[in-house]
Amino acid sequence: MSNAAGPTDPVKIKKLDSRNLMIQWADGHESRYVGPVLRGLCPCASCQDEDTGQRLILPIHIPDTLEFKTVELVGLYALQFGWSDGHGTGIYSFERLRQLCPCEDCTKASPGATGSAADD
Amino acid sequence: MNKEIDVAEERVLGELRKVRDPDLGKDIVSLGFVRNIKIEGASVSFDINLTTPACPVKDQMRDEAEALVGALDGVTSAKANMTAEVRKAPRMDKSSLAGIKNIVAVGSGKGGVGKSTIAVNLATALSMAGASVGVLDGDIYGPTMPIMLGVTGPPDHVGNRITPRESSGLKFMSMGLMVKTPDQPLIWRGPMAHKAFQQCLFDVDWGELDYLVVDLPPGTGDVHLTLAQSVPITGCVIVSTPQDVGLQISVKTLRMFEQTKVPILGIIENMAYYVCPHCDSKDHIFGDGGARRAAEQIGVPFLGEVPLDLPIRTQADAGVPIVIAQPEAASSVVLRGIAERLAAQISIQNYNTPVLEVE
Repeated sequence: MSNAAGPTDPVKIKKLDSRNLMIQWADGHESRYVGPVLRGLCPCASCQDEDTGQRLILPIHIPDTLEFKTVELVGLYALQFGWSDGHGTGIYSFERLRQLCPCEDCTKASPGATGSAADD
Repeated sequence: MNKEIDVAEERVLGELRKVRDPDLGKDIVSLGFVRNIKIEGASVSFDINLTTPACPVKDQMRDEAEALVGALDGVTSAKANMTAEVRKAPRMDKSSLAGIKNIVAVGSGKGGVGKSTIAVNLATALSMAGASVGVLDGDIYGPTMPIMLGVTGPPDHVGNRITPRESSGLKFMSMGLMVKTPDQPLIWRGPMAHKAFQQCLFDVDWGELDYLVVDLPPGTGDVHLTLAQSVPITGCVIVSTPQDVGLQISVKTLRMFEQTKVPILGIIENMAYYVCPHCDSKDHIFGDGGARRAAEQIGVPFLGEVPLDLPIRTQADAGVPIVIAQPEAASSVVLRGIAERLAAQISIQNYNTPVLEVE
């Protein structure tokens, strides 16, 4: 176990515009997220069944026009987003966000972890 | 050859670069600790500004710096003034707690391991070393700290802001102060516990604090999650007995903190052994060295072992922490050492945590 900063520790979080978010990680990698895609992967109990893990909200339910209203840190380990559809209970851990990095290298390394069409 | 040698600041700095902070692994010049170099003829003085007044190697660093600078050609006296300024945890910027530099949680797996006794004594030891320290008794169901600090009755408030009580040099807040009589229980479900704890943290005027020590309830519950989610705490300390059954559960608490990315600053073994008051022999009632082995296995610092002795208990019941009441008692010496090692771990953690920019 180590307390040293690693690939799931962010060093910079930047809202690029109302739909795009950038996270730079301690290992130098940069991830760019599209808001509506993250919203479609919301891990809260009303978007995902707590027992079975089955998705109750799917990416196709999310309009492309959806925007970030707020981006807030949760302690040291996660982000919480407030969305323009009024939703805001999902806590996205940095570990999960790193897994969800949609860049080509990361999707090749762990296909299906990105919330791309393959998840639908 | 009696030409006067000019003692330039560069040469002094050159010598001081040889002094390393053993905890941060860098020299004290690169770390920005050296300030205020004054050269008057052959006398040199300077400040070494450490990251905590409770630095365990303070004297060693001072002696080393003075010896090196004193040995320079042309220097007849070298004086290092040791100062300290606790650095703020890089992510500690919640506006209502803006004056607090570090929040340190003290947790345990099971109850009854002496977590509150350890927490209150560590806080007091840090304060005696010169730090400004607050203590939040987060054990809302079984608050014992009012007894240990000899404080009763509700705190004052200004408008909606609560003024913390003060005792033994600490600022102090506990749910135990809010009940009408000491034997009145709090019968609450989770959401109430969450709200009450948040109030004790955010609605209290803590002012400027180097360290806020939060004494958690045993286990992994609402209060732990509330703390891990609402503030960027510097780290947590786990208190355990040497017993296997206690240790296994302590590891669960440790894993919970790990999941929420709260750094583990170390493990403390309490009730490590009993010293017989008649013959001074040591009895390892709960087993020997269990917590030290667990810390080694998991790869977290082991901060020390506190003996089970009578004064630590009687002083807790009398409302004065043992490190103040009997500073020379065996357990006080041990507790001060642990407080210093903890302060060093806090400095290391802050030094290694990358700054997070949010735009």
